[in-house]
Amino acid sequence: MFEHIDPRSSTPLYAQIAARFRVAIAAGELRTAALLPSVRELAARLRVNPATIAQAYRELEAEGFVEIRHGAGTYVRELAPGRRTRERARQAKALAERVLADARRTGVTLEELREAIDGVLGAKTT
Amino acid sequence: MTNVIEIDSLHYRPGKGFALRDLSIHVPAGAIYGFLGPNGSGKTTTIRLVLGLLRPQSGRITVLGDRMPDDAPKILARVGYVPEQPHLDPTLTVDELLRFQAAFYPTWDGARATQLLRQFDLDGERLFGRLSKGQKAKVMILLALAQQGELLVLDEPTDGLDPVVRRDILAALLEYVSQRGAAVFISSHLVHEIERICDWIAVMDDGRLVTEVPMEQLKNGTKRLRVAGAPATLGPTPFALFAREPATAAAETWVVGEWKPEMAGYFPGIGASLQDVIDLDLEDGFVELLRSFRGGRSEGSA
Repeated sequence: MFEHIDPRSSTPLYAQIAARFRVAIAAGELRTAALLPSVRELAARLRVNPATIAQAYRELEAEGFVEIRHGAGTYVRELAPGRRTRERARQAKALAERVLADARRTGVTLEELREAIDGVLGAKTT
Repeated sequence: MTNVIEIDSLHYRPGKGFALRDLSIHVPAGAIYGFLGPNGSGKTTTIRLVLGLLRPQSGRITVLGDRMPDDAPKILARVGYVPEQPHLDPTLTVDELLRFQAAFYPTWDGARATQLLRQFDLDGERLFGRLSKGQKAKVMILLALAQQGELLVLDEPTDGLDPVVRRDILAALLEYVSQRGAAVFISSHLVHEIERICDWIAVMDDGRLVTEVPMEQLKNGTKRLRVAGAPATLGPTPFALFAREPATAAAETWVVGEWKPEMAGYFPGIGASLQDVIDLDLEDGFVELLRSFRGGRSEGSA
């Protein structure tokens, strides 16, 4: 789940870690009442500052995805109907924006990008 | 107590050549503070001063609220230290070293020592001198952690170790920090390791402090810009301009610090256009900082 944490990225580590959890929660991989790893455990596993993990959890709590029960752990909250779907749509949009920004930077046109996506999809289905 | 280490206007000159000049650094409580710099920049000397192993010519050093070197014994009981080179008796076994160390520290946590021995897969009956480099490093960090210090001072703790040992050591360190809330002062030239774990960064060069900033600020504020149509001479800029080089016939590359997105408005004002803003990682930022620091100094002295 955390293979893509990149300390060299300009996106802060806490934001990257929070984003991973958001994806897992939106995809239903982490269900309601699921227990997140403890700050201590995850800091040691990812070899990052414990404060970074705590900050990621606080961000998820502020967004209403998790509940931090002090001394008992951090749990996935029961989400309003449609929240997971909306979150997935938001993630898809962010992904599309990243791809388009990269395309602009490397001079790939929208047409070429569409063709490439179709090509990759075609290669997968055949 | 807000800072666990405070150094103010420190001067130290051991001989004719090298000197620490006007050094001031502040390590906040609970921080993991990365101390970066090329070899010979003064990192180990600073650490030895912090631990009271050397006496400064002038300046003030406070560690955990007490003065160094005057209060050294009191301070050192609360500080875990891992030196660059193993300094332990090679003719003692690991178990003997643990018993020896435990006798000095009333806060010694025997259960943690036993647990770390297992976690690090160390054989207590082996002679320290017979251990591999990685095993020696593990014993040193084990001693510092079992001592339950409020501050850990680590001088290149993972330098020259293989990735597996580095991982094990960092994991144990971070587990300790999250449990105890201890502060860590860690010198290293392994920039990527520092980038992962530190929330504060200081950079040294040739006995001087180049910068001391929160990690986020350094990472978010250092950018490479692509600029077209800029005049050859510039007035004051709203950001720190580290370097300026031709990129193509029409555009230049600028390396800047203290950058904020709203500063893009500066470019139309000088008749230039900002074409791209590229993020730099800590290593690039570190190299550019040193380059501009050295450039600034040679201009100043010319």
